[in-house]
Amino acid sequence: MARYGMALDYKNCINCKACEVACKEENGVLLGADKHRIWVGVNELEGEWPNIALSSSVFMPSQCQHCDNAPCQEVCPTNATYYDENHVVRVDVDKCILCSYCVEACPYGARYEDPRTVTMDKCTFCSDTRLARGETTTACQNTCPTKVRTFGDLDDPNSEISQLLRNREHFSLKANLGTKPKLFYLM
Amino acid sequence: MQVEVSRRKFLQGSVTLSIVGASAVSTTNLFSGEEASEHKSTQSGIPSTITTKTSTKKAENVPYLCGICVNKCAGFARVEDGIVTKLNPNPYFPKSRNMLCARGNAGIQTMYDPDRLKYPMIRIGERGDGKYKRVSWEEAYDAILNGTDKFKGIKQILDEEKDNRATIGYCNGEGLSKEGFEVLVGEKIGSPNYVDEISICLETTLGGYVNTIGTYGEADLNNADYLIIAGANRAEAIITPDTMDLFKRTKGRGLKTIVLDPRFTNTAAKADRWYAVNPGTDLAFVLALTYVVLTEELYDKDFASKHMDGFEDYKQHIISKGYTPQWAEKFTNIPAKEIYKTAREFMAARSPIYYQGRRSVFSKNDFQLRRAMAIFQGLSGNLDKKGGIVYGKKLGLPKEDINSPMYAQVQPRFDKEGIAIPSLKTGSWIVFRNMVLEGKAPYPVRAMFMRKHNPMSGVPNTKKTEAFLRKMDLNVMIDILPSDTTMFADVVLPEASYLERTSPVASYGGLEPAIVQRKAAVKPLFETKVPEQIYKELAEKLSKPLWEITQKYDEDVQDDTKGMSAEEIEKYYKENGFDLAEPWEKTVHEQNEEKIVEAFGKEAWEALEEKGVYYPNMDKYYQQLNPNEFQYYPENKKNYSVKGDTLKVVVNFKNLAKKGVDPMPTWRDDMAFSVPEGKFRLVTGRHAQFTQSGTTNNMMLRDLIPTNYIWINNKKCEQMGIKFGDKVEVKSNIGKVTIMAYPTNKIAPNQIFMLHGFGGSSEQMEFATGNGANDALLIEDKIEPVYGAAVMHETNVEIRKV
Repeated sequence: MARYGMALDYKNCINCKACEVACKEENGVLLGADKHRIWVGVNELEGEWPNIALSSSVFMPSQCQHCDNAPCQEVCPTNATYYDENHVVRVDVDKCILCSYCVEACPYGARYEDPRTVTMDKCTFCSDTRLARGETTTACQNTCPTKVRTFGDLDDPNSEISQLLRNREHFSLKANLGTKPKLFYLM
Repeated sequence: MQVEVSRRKFLQGSVTLSIVGASAVSTTNLFSGEEASEHKSTQSGIPSTITTKTSTKKAENVPYLCGICVNKCAGFARVEDGIVTKLNPNPYFPKSRNMLCARGNAGIQTMYDPDRLKYPMIRIGERGDGKYKRVSWEEAYDAILNGTDKFKGIKQILDEEKDNRATIGYCNGEGLSKEGFEVLVGEKIGSPNYVDEISICLETTLGGYVNTIGTYGEADLNNADYLIIAGANRAEAIITPDTMDLFKRTKGRGLKTIVLDPRFTNTAAKADRWYAVNPGTDLAFVLALTYVVLTEELYDKDFASKHMDGFEDYKQHIISKGYTPQWAEKFTNIPAKEIYKTAREFMAARSPIYYQGRRSVFSKNDFQLRRAMAIFQGLSGNLDKKGGIVYGKKLGLPKEDINSPMYAQVQPRFDKEGIAIPSLKTGSWIVFRNMVLEGKAPYPVRAMFMRKHNPMSGVPNTKKTEAFLRKMDLNVMIDILPSDTTMFADVVLPEASYLERTSPVASYGGLEPAIVQRKAAVKPLFETKVPEQIYKELAEKLSKPLWEITQKYDEDVQDDTKGMSAEEIEKYYKENGFDLAEPWEKTVHEQNEEKIVEAFGKEAWEALEEKGVYYPNMDKYYQQLNPNEFQYYPENKKNYSVKGDTLKVVVNFKNLAKKGVDPMPTWRDDMAFSVPEGKFRLVTGRHAQFTQSGTTNNMMLRDLIPTNYIWINNKKCEQMGIKFGDKVEVKSNIGKVTIMAYPTNKIAPNQIFMLHGFGGSSEQMEFATGNGANDALLIEDKIEPVYGAAVMHETNVEIRKV
């Protein structure tokens, strides 16, 4: 029993997409531009050559926020979307009817259709692969060249993530929506 | 703080052609082969889906070294029921420190690529038409020796050339099995005509640094506090540990970063300042930095007097030539005040680094640029110390003795035209190819032995490369994919990919040296073989017949063996190295064990076998510090300073003058950047999600970066009526391509950029063929004057919407 979250040292991100590929290989995510559980957001660059505003060039690594108040879970008519024992937002393959309410409800764009499992799938924090084998990192954290991510138990005060969040300023995406994300962006 | 970046915006921003996993793969040719198509294989060892979810079952974790680019990161291959389901980073290797990039993760798809070369093949059609016959390995070796009705064998060629082994040329891409190929074709068969990939890569960078500070060195980015990184794009051309260290400390976090690049790269995105330098003018920038530092006396005087050879000459040279920032501004497009600021900041920093770079040669002055950069680094005194460019140490491995035969009839290499310092071993691709093509070679070059190399894409001027390959009587290719160059081979030998082979152990030096071993995760798929086994078997096949040719024409051998009995001649043949297969009597794994046990003992071998990595005291030193960080060596054991009084910076290199090369970096008028009105300068480069032409058929990477676009300045596009995705014809003096447009503010109005490696023509590579454009069709085959390395950024093009 844990409450899993992730801290992202997002300024380290170079948009190399190692996380995306590691995620796909680990979790058997299908290929296709619209099929990924993890991504890097890129801003439009402001300014004209050669006066590009460097402050406008931000890479935002992202994935399911594993909200404590997950809108996707709230709207799911069949309770296919649920919180598992570690507070990870998961999907029950057998219950999902592809109604796509979750896709509409999610403010982060984190749900996608997996036609193979016929599920509105999402990031699982590698719960049914790596964590199930007793490993302590997600595929995205482990492979990252610049070590953007730290995954861990928010309820354990001694975990690396708890220490990071105590010692570093951080913010959440769309915090105003009250979704209470468990992804934390370190300043 | 709120940062609004939605997934949909991301999708719109990255223009994607969706490659559906189950799209039809042609199965009508020998290359694709029915059993591998769509990964719906019935053959064991091939996964049934493209990506395989890892299971919770027990799996084998085999240490390997990545081979998807030249960098060599260490990993563990997860093997479930004989199938590699996941590649994970190996935390034990100090160079790659527990990371695998997107390409490294996608290595699985290269091994299981449905278009892989699966069996030996010999050509039955015309060169380039893709008609091949599947044969046994024995038949393939026999075809190399004896030819077929379509092409001549090496025996006939060497007989006709009277045992002049130089009639064979050979080339090889980078990798751990490269040395073995050089031993086979160079040392044993006796060809001097090697064209290494270095002459289309970083030859001048290595040469410039080694000839100035005695090493290329390692930039200690973990401890530096100021960085100038020019024309190197570490966010997209990933090198470990540099990429890993650099971007953890940018953006006000300890490492002030100044980026020079004609285009706005992902590295520029991380900079404190980005200067859009004109292509090929970095030398003027460095000379002006030097001018400021010398005139304002900001340099490390103690270091200069102790370690810099010819310092006073250089000071006088730089000042008398008037290399002021104002002078440099007009060449570089960098304001003079910015040059002053950068020079002063650099010298005021505690540990400044002018990053050496690692890239292709872009302009003719590249050797001088590297010399100027290395000298400038010396002026800061930040060499051979923590936070600077360090020399480090390397763990020595026992050398292999190669018994190389002497051939009296072999002629020397000739690719020296227009080159001041021709390299005896590695040659110049462009000069070699062009001299052969233009009939300037002093003897006929009639055969090419090629491995893991794709000059049709890599060497500027594809048409000439094609004509060169067509001119040969025999082309042999060892590779894993049917590249554009493979299509001109007469005999194709399929190699095991890097996950299917154990490779010779390698030693990586630096601050934290280590030895690594790549172990085969699975057995070679299909009928492929590991390279060293191919070398051995080919050597066995060729050895005696080629020896007979030597006996027929080689007067030295005839004199030596006069009156000998058959047994004595056999003994002579073996003792003098004419037995070509002798270096491969033992397998690679056996040779590795022997070497490691000899040098470091049995425990070292056990560590290598289990962890893939070894260095002395690893069991004591290695520690995991937190989920993301590891200690390899304690701070006081890192090799920050190793040179002491022997440290020397060669500033005035007088011997160069004898070769017609400036002994001190000097700006020449013809180095100025200019583009005629209506034309554009073509700039090329790399990307973090593919490795040149080698990964264009990799389904996972194709999914991320489906094709290349031409970057054109957005304002220019408005004038020309070009919109995103429009087809544009790009034309240089040597060829033309059609490619889709990407209007952007990231490039100058008189320049265009395209990623290198796309536009493959081999129809046997289902996903790569005809996709995007091949820049080698456009880049003119110009060389720089010191080593004859190809210059990539000196071609102007016209563009028009089609």
